[in-house]
Amino acid sequence: MTAIYKVSYVVVGETHPGAILNTEHKPAVGDHITLGGREFIVLEIVDLMPARGEFHFLHATLRPTPA
Amino acid sequence: MDLWPVLSKVELFEGLTPPELTDVARICTQREFRTGQVITIQGEPGSELFVICDGFVEVVVNPSGQNPAPRTVVHLGRGQLFGEMALVDYGPRSATVKSIADHTLIQAIDRDDFNRLCEANHHLGFIVMRNMAADLSFKLRHYHLTGR
Repeated sequence: MTAIYKVSYVVVGETHPGAILNTEHKPAVGDHITLGGREFIVLEIVDLMPARGEFHFLHATLRPTPA
Repeated sequence: MDLWPVLSKVELFEGLTPPELTDVARICTQREFRTGQVITIQGEPGSELFVICDGFVEVVVNPSGQNPAPRTVVHLGRGQLFGEMALVDYGPRSATVKSIADHTLIQAIDRDDFNRLCEANHHLGFIVMRNMAADLSFKLRHYHLTGR
């Protein structure tokens, strides 16, 4: 059974609205991710709700990577 | 296109049996949008639920009253749904949603088809409605975490 991670991404330090999406890769602190063509770094990951079936529910805090 | 592998990775359908997923696939209509194309318009009537299979959309709310400036509340990507509020409460669209990526692939589900399926199979109806409530809860938690 493949785990699917539903992630709430919130960007700190600016007015970006954040994003919600599914990924098969569990994000980790220090990962670089791209949202809407912009790159961010993951600062923190927490479980938002208990897993249900193969779905895991995470919250990630991001900040933009320096240009 | 075989929708089974796609739909089985969407939380809305988590817990359905393979035959139930096949029934859902039968009422899906695939649509593709380019960057900037509008999918729903706030205030207009709507009778479809949308599931994002690929790409990204932007959800924009235009508050009434003293602050009329439109505000982007969230970006939604693969596996997410939108349009569910109008589907269940029969009210107007609560937000304008537009594609922010080329080749955004969406499965649209019509309310009448959806209701018929839920009434014909109460297990399917319970699972999908439970998952829809959980999705709304997740969105609310996300919104709270944005600090707005």
